[in-house]
Amino acid sequence: MINKFTRIKLVLLLLLPLDIISAFSNSGELQSVQHALEESHNLPSAIMVLPFVLLLIAIATGPIFYHHFWEKNYPKISMALGSLTVIYYLVILEDTHSLLHTFAEYLSFIALLASLFIASGGILIKVDRKATPALNSFILLFGAVIANIIGTTGASMLLIRPFMKINKDNIKPYHIIFFIFIVSNIGGALTPIGDPPLFLGFLRGIDFFWFVENVWYIWLPTVLIVITIFYLVDSRNPGIDNENQYSGKIEFSGLKNIGYLLIILISVFIDPGVMDWVPSLAPLPFGIREIIMFSVCYFAYKSADRRILEANEFDFEPIKEVAYLFVGIFATMIPALQLIAYEANVLGDEIGVGDFYWATGILSGFLDNAPTYLNFLSAELGKFGLDINMKLQVHQFQMEHVIYLQAISVAAVFFGAMTYIGNGPNFMVKAISERAGVKMPTFFAYMVKYSIPILIPIFIVVWLVFFNGHA
Amino acid sequence: MKSLREVLDNKLTGLHYGNRILLPFGAHVLKAVVENDIVMDFSNAKKGAAYNITRDFTELYFYDYRDLSEVVTEYETIKLVCVENGKDVFTLSNHVKIALYLKEKHILEIEELNDDILFLE
Repeated sequence: MINKFTRIKLVLLLLLPLDIISAFSNSGELQSVQHALEESHNLPSAIMVLPFVLLLIAIATGPIFYHHFWEKNYPKISMALGSLTVIYYLVILEDTHSLLHTFAEYLSFIALLASLFIASGGILIKVDRKATPALNSFILLFGAVIANIIGTTGASMLLIRPFMKINKDNIKPYHIIFFIFIVSNIGGALTPIGDPPLFLGFLRGIDFFWFVENVWYIWLPTVLIVITIFYLVDSRNPGIDNENQYSGKIEFSGLKNIGYLLIILISVFIDPGVMDWVPSLAPLPFGIREIIMFSVCYFAYKSADRRILEANEFDFEPIKEVAYLFVGIFATMIPALQLIAYEANVLGDEIGVGDFYWATGILSGFLDNAPTYLNFLSAELGKFGLDINMKLQVHQFQMEHVIYLQAISVAAVFFGAMTYIGNGPNFMVKAISERAGVKMPTFFAYMVKYSIPILIPIFIVVWLVFFNGHA
Repeated sequence: MKSLREVLDNKLTGLHYGNRILLPFGAHVLKAVVENDIVMDFSNAKKGAAYNITRDFTELYFYDYRDLSEVVTEYETIKLVCVENGKDVFTLSNHVKIALYLKEKHILEIEELNDDILFLE
């Protein structure tokens, strides 16, 4: 048994650069880790985690506290911090393998997100029905399900406008916020397409269907509880009586883009690691899958109906922002991943499932959940002496340590709803709502009025039921 | 000065220069949306936006932007809720939602917002 204080320090160790922890610690075990790390010549210096930390802090604070400066300079900031790590690996560590591996992973990641974003941007759904709590709840449930097929980004892009439109006579911020909770985050926990962290896990070797098989029984009650709360809140909204006539029709425009979405979905499996007949294009840093996805980006945009793009106010800026920021994130997180795996290996016995759940969740709420997930996946593998860079070992881990993988998968996806910056679609939904004239709560009001009182109790219940007490 | 309806029906255009917009009709602006900034402060306090109705046009300044064409991209619009000068502001049916498209050579296309583009007053 380890005491509470030691547990807190261990979680902090996973959250913060090693230098910072050891500077404030008099614990012999932590100092021994530091000593062991310094002796290990293959590992990067702990100071090289700083660019990653700086970039994540900038991403968290930039859009809120220095919006205009950030908007203009984020590509330079991301590239500059990423370059520091790249130069360090090239010149000091002479390790090109880690860089190439990461670059290939980045291309897969951005190919999926960009293709989903562009293909869903060419689809327009019109619903001419009277808004009721039941209809709204159904749309949220539908969004939660399709988020696993077209991603939380795609589902959010597709459904936020019709959801707002049917509620246009009586829309309130809580409509948008529950949409962010369910469609933009919690819903997407069942497949690697659902949320970027899970896709990164898939790229590292977790089976595509592992998530739906092992997470559905956590996902379902969580989604239903959040929707029930929404239903109760929405039922208390008095609404405005109007004499509008509703045809009850649901119209889809841009149906060919559904075809593009299917192509994207199928192409996820076109990987030499999944299907033997798929040729590898190595040493190129991309494969057939990425070529298909980038082709979809081109053709989906070129063939899109201009009126639909206008109705969706389609803009490349959100995906451009993701592309630039994630170049920096993927590069700067290489040392963090390696160090965390090493630390977890040394301290493995003392970190429990609950620690992983809360540490992954808290960080995912405030930082981007994709790199956070990868860091903690690396830590969990390290705890059992496995290497995140070896697909076979990742596969072994998913078979033997289900509850650990469940804990970080659920936490990374669910806690992404805690803030506007927890997951990519959150900010996009907020921006779309504001462009439509809906005044949204500030960063802190979102947390204080909505995510903390509604989601934290639910996440505590999830922890108590599924993860508490597991060593 | 032309009427708002005349401008919309005949697809007449306005002008844009940096953060300044010229509308070829006289109107009171109640609400504006640029990107995801919702502007409802037209108090001329050098933040948000301010408008001025002259004899020939309505000019609108967005103080938080240096050049609107840098932030409003091809498929995006600036959205306004406005009321034609001289009409009763307090009659909701006089509120007109319009979309402004920033085109090349400082041309500003003006359209009444159709049902596809979502803009809640």
